[in-house]
Amino acid sequence: MSGAVGREPVFPTRQSLGLMKSKLKGAETGHSLLKRKSEALTKRFREITRRIDEAKQKMGRVMQIAAFSLAEVSYAVGGDIGYQVQESAKQARFRVRAKHENVSGVFLPQFESYTKDGINDFALTGLGKGGQQIQRCRETYARAVETLVELASLQTAFLILDEVIKVVNRRVNAIEHVIIPRTENTIKYINSELDELDREEFYRLKKVSNKKQRDNAAADAEILAARQKKKEAELQAQKSTPAQEATGATDATEAAEATEEAAEPEEPEPVDVLGEQEDNDVIF
Amino acid sequence: MAASAATYKDRQLLAVIGDEDSVTGLLLAGIGHVTDPPEAQRNFLVVDAKTETSEIERAFQTFTQERKDIAIVLINQHIAERIRNSVDNFTDPFPAVLEIPSKDHPYDPEKDSVLKRVRRLFGE
Amino acid sequence: MEGLYFNVNSGYVEGIVRGYKNSLLTGQNYSNLTQCETIDDVKLQLGPSYGDFLASLPPNPSTSALAGRMTDKLVSEFRYLVAQSTGSTAKFLKYLTYGYMIDNIALLITGTLHERDTRELLERCHPLGWFETLPVLCVATNIEELYNSVLIETPLAPYFKGSLNHQDLDELNIEIVRNTLYKNYLEDFYKFVNTDSDFNGPTQEVMSEILQFEADRRSINITLNSFGTELSKQERRKLYPEFGKLYPEGSLMLSRAEDVEGVALAVSAVAEYKTFFDAVGLSQGGGSMGGIGGSDGKSLEDLFYQKEMEMGKLVFTRQFTPAVVYAWMKLKEQEIRNVTWISECIAQNQKERIGNFISVF
Repeated sequence: MSGAVGREPVFPTRQSLGLMKSKLKGAETGHSLLKRKSEALTKRFREITRRIDEAKQKMGRVMQIAAFSLAEVSYAVGGDIGYQVQESAKQARFRVRAKHENVSGVFLPQFESYTKDGINDFALTGLGKGGQQIQRCRETYARAVETLVELASLQTAFLILDEVIKVVNRRVNAIEHVIIPRTENTIKYINSELDELDREEFYRLKKVSNKKQRDNAAADAEILAARQKKKEAELQAQKSTPAQEATGATDATEAAEATEEAAEPEEPEPVDVLGEQEDNDVIF
Repeated sequence: MAASAATYKDRQLLAVIGDEDSVTGLLLAGIGHVTDPPEAQRNFLVVDAKTETSEIERAFQTFTQERKDIAIVLINQHIAERIRNSVDNFTDPFPAVLEIPSKDHPYDPEKDSVLKRVRRLFGE
Repeated sequence: MEGLYFNVNSGYVEGIVRGYKNSLLTGQNYSNLTQCETIDDVKLQLGPSYGDFLASLPPNPSTSALAGRMTDKLVSEFRYLVAQSTGSTAKFLKYLTYGYMIDNIALLITGTLHERDTRELLERCHPLGWFETLPVLCVATNIEELYNSVLIETPLAPYFKGSLNHQDLDELNIEIVRNTLYKNYLEDFYKFVNTDSDFNGPTQEVMSEILQFEADRRSINITLNSFGTELSKQERRKLYPEFGKLYPEGSLMLSRAEDVEGVALAVSAVAEYKTFFDAVGLSQGGGSMGGIGGSDGKSLEDLFYQKEMEMGKLVFTRQFTPAVVYAWMKLKEQEIRNVTWISECIAQNQKERIGNFISVF
């Protein structure tokens, strides 16, 4: 899996390592947040679906009652008012407006019905007879339409939630299966690159210290050789003036020892650093 | 979701495609709206046995796609059956398409496109 | 005296109507109907009275189809009567159809106003309100043309003349037009039965009573239904027929009534109407429209229908009068409404209200 997602195109530096680490952290937080959002939405979604089911059944009953009240009208009027009603419709009295409700950052529209005052296209319908039934029928139907509006809100919420949940889940999955592994990969890559660099550095330092040691050894040998020569020369000279020569020789050895001691404190340090690095090396 | 807020703000009307009784009743409730001439458009369509399916289809498309002032489209279930494909393919949240029963055709939850989705989601 | 010559011209018609009357559904039939489970059962129960007319219906027809066929039967019987009648009786029968014509013309006016194809509307017209020149009206494309052709082509011309001009058709609500016409029609009908020398005697007596009742009923209904609408009191007053038991004092009071109590007060002079109002509890401050309709489900309109049916039934106790045709028609219409109601209840599974019909036999 992790091999398929690849890694981000970054330079393997300590800075980008830091960036990647914070990115990983962000992705993990985001993932858990989105997961929680998706759960909240799904809960709501299930509730809505249940209510839709109920509301649809209720609608069946309500519409039946409404249809029946229309039957009452045709009984009272003794004829068909359909055509007249169709023709006298002009302005919608019954309208809806949309409010919205916030569920975990998703705006669900909620239709709210209201009647526009002053519009009454059918006030005079059934003036001669049946007016009261028509009035009652209008009320029944208005109530039925309210139920329908309620159902429509639910249904719209259902569709929107369905969509949103899909999007959220897609994001959750993307984070879980793409972004996080990729960031992890990148971090791994940066780390390994950095190690490589470290190893190179270690090797370089080792090389340098080796060289230094060699140089020092050479220098020491030279000094020693020089000293030997001197000693030999002195020995030859001592034979002539042994007392005077002896004091000069001790002075010179003392001075050489002092220089050697001054050089020595430099040496243990690199050794120490390298020792640490070697430990690191074992880990990787 | 902010973009859709603007689209449903001015949706105020209901539209209906139904048989004569359903339409009459709903109009009595006061949902009828006829736009101003010259292009007077009604927000309802009476369907009877003689109405062509293409006409229903056209009305459905008009109510769902062209008109931006309709919030809810009510359609009799037995009429929705005739243009089932369009109804099932219409999945936008706005306008909400609602299948309603008619006098002669009691409500059958099995055929409702939304309920079908509900059922499918719950694997029933 | 009146019986002496009546049968020469109209005896056959009367006889036929009495025969028709016997085929009206009785209480027994109705109680059978209410037991039905399906529309097919209803169809079966109606077999003896409607036989052939229902035969072509598909299984489990819609209630409107059923009602349509029953109306067809009424129409064909009525046409037969018209064909058999002569003289004043023929004229009387013509008057009966005018009410339907008014409805048809109102329909056409509505259609023309909204620029619909008026030819489609012809199918919707009530067959009893059909007259030869009705299709001519469909030629009219605007209201002015329609108005002119209405005046020339229809028997309703006198009802238009004087009270409506072509601008009114355009501007007034169609319901006002319809009720103005109806008012004129009732007045004319009333005048006709009271002045035609052939109708002295039983016809005049019976029809006057029925028409007075009809006029009062309309006045009361119009008043009740106009509350809360833009119909002004003045306009409302113009719609009251100028006869009837309530005329003139009651009408005047009705025209001033502002609520249901006002109406109850206005009609309290007439004992019958007062009992109706008492029965539905209108007098006791039940102000809202929704409140109309007593606890037993009977509304004022139901009571009016009941009364109308009883008057219709009484007409059959009279002889030598074409009023029986009127009564028979009204009874038959009620019967169609009843059957529609019952089948509607059955179709929609609302059996608890099924007894809400009016049967007088």
